[in-house]
Amino acid sequence: MAESPRATPYPGTFARAWAKAVSGTSYLPMTQAQLESLLDRLTGELAGALLTEPFDLRAGHRVGAELVAAHIASAEGLGRTVEVIQLRLVRDLGLVAEDVEDRMARLLAAVATGYARALRDRTLDEQESIRRAAMRARTQAERALRASEARFRHQATHDPLTGLPNRTLFTERLTAALNEPGRGAQRVGVCFLDLDRFKVVNDTLGHQIGDLLLATVAERLRKAMGEHLVARLGGDEFVILVERTNGTDDMVAVAETALAAVRTPALVDGHELQISASIGIVERQVAGANPTDLMRAADSTLHWAKSAGGARWALYDAERNQRELARYALSAAIPAALERGEFYLDYQPLTSLRDGSLVGVEALVRWRHPELGVLRPDSFIGLAEETGLIVQLGGWVLAEACREAEAWSAGGASAPFVSVNLAVRQVHRPGLVQEVRALLRQTGLPPERLQLEITESTMMSTAEEPVRALRVLADLGVRIAIDDFGTGYSNLAYLRDLPVTELKVAGEFVAGLRSPSVGRTDERILASLVSLAHALDLTVTAEGVETAGQAERLRAIGCDAAQGWHFGRPAPADRILARIR
Amino acid sequence: MQRPDWAPDTIDIERPSVARMYDYYLGGSHNFAADRAAAQAMVAAVPEAPLMAQANRAFLRRAVHHLADAGIRQFLDIGSGIPTVGNVHEIAQQLDPQSRVVYVDVDPVAVAHSREILAGNEQAAVVQEDLRHPEAILAHPDVRKLLDLSQPVAVMVVAVLHFVSDDDRPAELLRTLRDALAPGSYLVLSQASDDGRSEDERAEAERVYRRTDSPLWVRSRAELTALFDGFELLDPGVVWVPQWRPDTPESAGDAERAVFMGGVGRLGG
Repeated sequence: MAESPRATPYPGTFARAWAKAVSGTSYLPMTQAQLESLLDRLTGELAGALLTEPFDLRAGHRVGAELVAAHIASAEGLGRTVEVIQLRLVRDLGLVAEDVEDRMARLLAAVATGYARALRDRTLDEQESIRRAAMRARTQAERALRASEARFRHQATHDPLTGLPNRTLFTERLTAALNEPGRGAQRVGVCFLDLDRFKVVNDTLGHQIGDLLLATVAERLRKAMGEHLVARLGGDEFVILVERTNGTDDMVAVAETALAAVRTPALVDGHELQISASIGIVERQVAGANPTDLMRAADSTLHWAKSAGGARWALYDAERNQRELARYALSAAIPAALERGEFYLDYQPLTSLRDGSLVGVEALVRWRHPELGVLRPDSFIGLAEETGLIVQLGGWVLAEACREAEAWSAGGASAPFVSVNLAVRQVHRPGLVQEVRALLRQTGLPPERLQLEITESTMMSTAEEPVRALRVLADLGVRIAIDDFGTGYSNLAYLRDLPVTELKVAGEFVAGLRSPSVGRTDERILASLVSLAHALDLTVTAEGVETAGQAERLRAIGCDAAQGWHFGRPAPADRILARIR
Repeated sequence: MQRPDWAPDTIDIERPSVARMYDYYLGGSHNFAADRAAAQAMVAAVPEAPLMAQANRAFLRRAVHHLADAGIRQFLDIGSGIPTVGNVHEIAQQLDPQSRVVYVDVDPVAVAHSREILAGNEQAAVVQEDLRHPEAILAHPDVRKLLDLSQPVAVMVVAVLHFVSDDDRPAELLRTLRDALAPGSYLVLSQASDDGRSEDERAEAERVYRRTDSPLWVRSRAELTALFDGFELLDPGVVWVPQWRPDTPESAGDAERAVFMGGVGRLGG
């Protein structure tokens, strides 16, 4: 900026008046002295413009712009500036010029013009700058929102302990793999993995060690599985998703790799832990598959691997699954069937080989299933034993047999005894003695007309209680028979300890008697069993006798009684009893 | 501040911002229609509002000058708002280019604007934080990077504490800041005061600020003086801001019209 002529000593009266006029019109980032010094310089410019030939409007523009640049930038600031210049500039500075009034008007117009231009530019600049800031802040907020959403999504889809994807993410990925358009012909597989006896680690070493072990296993699986998704479903359950498989061989290879990764001993907090896993493998075509079925199948298959002893994989087998499902449905229906009275008893005769008389009958349970028709015990007893429902069902059979058998004595004194099978769980129940006692009392059946059949396996446990219970029952007069003798444990020691009345010899020995040439060994075994039994004062009943020849040879051996189709198939009580009336 | 910490602020320029209203009082154009409407309502209720803002800004300028003269080269300005004319770093770095300044504001637009203005200035930074979280401010990496808390720092809490309610325990917030400072540090404090104001004016001003995210919480001279706990108040103590070491005697006239009271305290030891 050009040197301005200085008309009065710094700061002049005019500059001071000007400073006072604009003070407070807007915020001025300077001291009063700095303001006065600035305005003093601008006063010089204005004075020069009034006097210089030719008259130059640009000086006025410059002064207006400088005021705005110095933040004297408000409407009031301009108003007071115009006022103070008009009123005082010429007078305070003692300026003398011919056309001073004319020049003053033009100068003020130039100052106002320069000022307004600068203020407009400044306003636009500031508006632009604050809008840009708002936009940037918004972009940043949106980015932060996205980042936090991503973080939130990660938290929602990952397991905090192992960092692996969780069930939610796995289900998403599996569903996507199954639903992806154009992939209908492709195949997909999952390995459902569960650590063997992990609970033992938790129980003996504590959950902290258990958690560390899970984290170690997770890390190993993640590394070993490469591109395949490894997720933790919860507890010690992991799952591996294999997309685009070429068949079960691929899955078996994945499962082997996973088992190997888990098998390596893990050093966790100073403990060397040897751990194994079981895997259920399901591999199928994408078309028609749905995630729920697939995972349910994987779960069943995992249990097959577990029940086969663990530390292995098992491959899904649709037929086996179907059978298990049917069995499961059947067992689940037992309690309701008992309530609806769908069970009933048939009886099979036990015939004396001496005189052909009916010495007893074996009660055999039947299920008149509303949809499946009459079911024989082999289709539901095994299942009832696994689930424990056998206690309820066996209790019903025992009570029903006692109730029916009591009525038979009305026909005469020689009424047959009724033989009822007792399952292992029934024998081991504490209340067995009371239960039998109560039944005998309620039905009035004499104890000697009740025979309880137990299997050798029932006696394999070393528990004292069942032996004591059986002894109490034998003392009451109840007959105790060992069923299927000779095929199981055949420990003769319990024949010494137990109050057994009878041995029922398994049908497979009897089957050998059908052909004279091959049956020699079986015949000798049977003969030895009979003489052993008789030496111990026990009677022997042969099971599964189907022909007259078999019956004849058994009689020759000295066997006491026989049971089988040759003597009568299982039938309702009245049909059996008709024979003795 | 009840939202989960992973949910960031949204930017709503339809809602008045106290930082941009303040810019309007100072004659700036860094504001939007909603800010101007709210600021005009405030001026209708309290005609001195622009004067208040200017007086407070002048107080800030004089305080920074004074502290720079006293040898302070580090400034932490909390509630810095829209960084228009007469910023702390402009004043301080004019006196010593090595002066370091960290601005803190809760308003994301103000922060974005500050960032633009400070681009290329290695000695100044801006941090988005809330005065109500002093630990977060003190622990912020940019604060740690630029300020050496083992050396004296001037903490500026200027024209912001009236947005902090008593429920947020302003005395505790200031104590947390104070405990992090080295001896020889300063606290510059100013805020709106209701000393000598009518109940009507106060109610009207509070009503205007309820439209913003930052309701108004005025305090008396006694309350402000108590907030300097642990600091030695410099002369003339807590006063109407134009009365704090005025450039000229006449600029301190009519001081109570400024509504803002303030003071500067020094941490002894």
